[in-house]
Amino acid sequence: MKRRGRGIACMWYPIGFTVAANPSAAVVKINEDGTATLLTGTVETGQGSLTILAQIVAQELGIATEDVHVVSADTDATPMDTGAIASRTTYVTGNAARLAAEKARLMMFDVAAPMLNVKPDQLEARDHRIYVKGYPQRNLHVGDVANHARMVMGQPPIGSGYFNPATVALDPETGQGKPFATYVYATQIAEVDVDDETGDVDVLRIVASHDCGTAINPMLVEGQVEGGISMGVGFALQEEILFDAKGRQMNPNLTNYIMPTSLDMPEIEVDIVDNYDPTGPFGAKGVGEPTCVSTAAAILNAIHDAVGVRIHSLPATAEKVHAAIKAKQAAEQKQLSAS
Amino acid sequence: MVTVSMNVNGEKRTASVAPETTLLKLLRESFNLTGAKLGCDVGDCGACTVIVDGKLVNSCLMLAPQAEGREVLTIEGLATQDRLHPIQKVFEDKGSLQCGFCGPGVIMSAKALLDQNPNPSVQEIRDGLAGNLCRCTGYSKMIEAIQTIARERTA
Amino acid sequence: MATDTKTKTTALVDAEQLLRVPSAAPLVPFPVDVQVPDAARQTPAVGQRATRPDCRLHGLGQTKYIDDMYLPGMLFAKIKRAGVASARIISVDTSEAEMTPGVMAVVTGKDIPCNSFGPSLKDQPVLADERVFYAGDGVAAVAAVTEQIAADAIEKIKVEYEELTPVLDPLESLKLETPGVHAPSANIYGHKIIKKGDIEKGFAASDHIFEASFRTQMVEHVPLEPHSSLAQWDANGRLTVHSTLGRITLGRADIARTLGIPMSRIRVVATVVGGNFGGKNEITTEPVIALLSKKTGRPVKCTFTRPEEFYASTTRHPLIMDYKTGVTKDGKILARKIRLVLDGGAYCSWSETTLGKACILSAGPYQIDNLVAEAFVVYTNKTMTGAMRGFGAPQVCFAYESHMDDMAKALNIDPLEFRLKNVLSEGSLSPTSQTLHSVVVRESLLQAAQRFGWKPKTAPEAEGAFA
Repeated sequence: MKRRGRGIACMWYPIGFTVAANPSAAVVKINEDGTATLLTGTVETGQGSLTILAQIVAQELGIATEDVHVVSADTDATPMDTGAIASRTTYVTGNAARLAAEKARLMMFDVAAPMLNVKPDQLEARDHRIYVKGYPQRNLHVGDVANHARMVMGQPPIGSGYFNPATVALDPETGQGKPFATYVYATQIAEVDVDDETGDVDVLRIVASHDCGTAINPMLVEGQVEGGISMGVGFALQEEILFDAKGRQMNPNLTNYIMPTSLDMPEIEVDIVDNYDPTGPFGAKGVGEPTCVSTAAAILNAIHDAVGVRIHSLPATAEKVHAAIKAKQAAEQKQLSAS
Repeated sequence: MVTVSMNVNGEKRTASVAPETTLLKLLRESFNLTGAKLGCDVGDCGACTVIVDGKLVNSCLMLAPQAEGREVLTIEGLATQDRLHPIQKVFEDKGSLQCGFCGPGVIMSAKALLDQNPNPSVQEIRDGLAGNLCRCTGYSKMIEAIQTIARERTA
Repeated sequence: MATDTKTKTTALVDAEQLLRVPSAAPLVPFPVDVQVPDAARQTPAVGQRATRPDCRLHGLGQTKYIDDMYLPGMLFAKIKRAGVASARIISVDTSEAEMTPGVMAVVTGKDIPCNSFGPSLKDQPVLADERVFYAGDGVAAVAAVTEQIAADAIEKIKVEYEELTPVLDPLESLKLETPGVHAPSANIYGHKIIKKGDIEKGFAASDHIFEASFRTQMVEHVPLEPHSSLAQWDANGRLTVHSTLGRITLGRADIARTLGIPMSRIRVVATVVGGNFGGKNEITTEPVIALLSKKTGRPVKCTFTRPEEFYASTTRHPLIMDYKTGVTKDGKILARKIRLVLDGGAYCSWSETTLGKACILSAGPYQIDNLVAEAFVVYTNKTMTGAMRGFGAPQVCFAYESHMDDMAKALNIDPLEFRLKNVLSEGSLSPTSQTLHSVVVRESLLQAAQRFGWKPKTAPEAEGAFA
């Protein structure tokens, strides 16, 4: 018989390395037509970081995402980067990219200010133009400014920046300190059906509410949450590397290492928590790893709710769940006959 | 060495290969069509999915000589000089791919599904993609994309 | 053997295989004038659902991953894996492999100028030369004109081992009496402790004390794209390595160190990686293929098989987690004591980072004034455990959230309500007494509960579960 259950799990997760320096550097150069290029040492590993970085640079320069071309991952041509790890790219590399773009933008403002007869700090950049704050009728197209900068003033707008999260080393005796600059928070709620005769668990629905600070690109955040949940489902119910007595892996292949297919995935509903982190680029934090942290916990709590058994080890295979249900029934029988 | 000849994406292609060469290796190394990927080489992951004589095939499980004289359609055969294939377009719009490695295989499976069933249910879509493993996306935006294409076509 | 190996193998190799020139690229049609979808053309840029230009190329099958790269004269490398979990290497005989037609070079651990690397502890060899610490340890490598010849050749390499008893259970390794798994290092190669408040007072003041133990398993990243790298040199002694590394600056440093060459002579390029999830954050075969390329004067590519992805690349740390929590009868957590044992595999890899994060995060997103969290990482003779999405967080979250639900049930409080009573808020102090900002765990709980339609099953609390 199928029994339905629901389970909550909430979590917190840090951005960047534990205390240790993990800097990123970036360079932004502006072309004569106002479009731009970002040089970053980060590596695109599928999460869409290059597009996120383009959006951050575009925002700083007041242009559109498609106006920013990103060159990445070449130790000869791009600045150093600690890498696509620890969910740090949006926050650390993003901050570096924004700072680099800011410097290039300030060079643009230095050139635009006399063209508009104002001081540089009276200017703002948005919608492909540089405006005088409070008097928007006075403005110039970024292309005209960039062209003037290079061709007339001889000051090609270029900026480099770097960023490293501010941390405080941990006391070796008590662990007290500030290991990370910022954290993200999330909750996932799972709804499952457990077959109490076979132990099979069917994950029907997961609702995920994730904080990432400002969502630079909500579509990519959703993609990360959905992908993270798929890893969480596998971690909860299916995946396991098995060793023989001699220490050799017994299932190093995709036939016998079970991981989620399209048939194993629940309906997923994603909400992004409204939040802003002043230490992040335009308020952003990160999202890559947090997405798979609470899934297994939510599913296991849902199993507990459905059939009243607590599984203490992952994965919660059908065999394990079934054995736990049987044990519980036997214990209940014993109690009944004893009373 | 054996000589094999087949029609790939509408063009006759010929190569001389060792007889145990898979169709996957033939496509990638002899014909420079690297869209089909080697993810496991034993038919478990679907990254090598192509369409042979109208049927979905794990090209790592088919030997090159077995494709002799057949019609082979790979990811490279979907777009034209003028436009992306609708599946490619909607996948891009919906953010259905992330690292992209499983992408060509998934798109071929999606094409085969929609060719056979122009208005699939969510369960039918899940079934249609069941032979393609993806580690990045959770399949959600792929399913959404296929639903969108089906809707747009029947509209 | 003193005979001219190069002449012999060149003469014996089939002429067609020697050429290995990629055939002329087919005329694959693709549209050039497809408009960029709206969101990427909008300002302001932040907040847009901008599409990814790289994803257009993915959908066309045009993205070139490392394994899609074929260069003229390129050789294929394969690594011989130990197959034994713990052993001393007595001898390595590569002579039969070297004499095989089509094999152009062979290297062993002795050929590596500086045979150790690692993100923190440099305890992992590029190729094992004296000791094998897990079954996936590489002991030799071959470069040949085809992948098949390379795969066959490594079977012909004869390695004599003195097999030792492997230690597979982390709790066994934790006991100091066990002979060193990774001698001369101690079995416990990392330790972290967090102490906050007064744990004994906290438990003394509690109405109930709950204890539970949890375990998690070893899993693997399973990126669809296996690890791959390609090395080539120019006449100025400059090495270019294309690699699936997610950290090219570190990769360059590791290559410089293991090969003993200056960084200015090394270029590391990553193309788009087909999935990382933490498993591609340190070097694997890069120094080996660099040496093979140097020996042969030809580009050398090495791509992991799917089985190698499992048994020869990093995995997620299995954790053993013991929790003890003291609560008041109306559900306020007063004290928590945690012990974590991380199965640290054969080499350190990213264990230090994982240890630190797991320890700090293990208390959960909860306001706990009296806390002791202690974590150990131990060597075992199993696949190295490294960085995998979450660095210990998924494991401890499974433990602390299961524990929360067990306590909620025992106290007859709704699981959502129990969490809302205890979660961190803006300005809370973390387990390391850091003042937290931008804290929204309460908001995420309420938002998720509302969308889910969470209704408490137990007797409702008097005021505002959903306030």
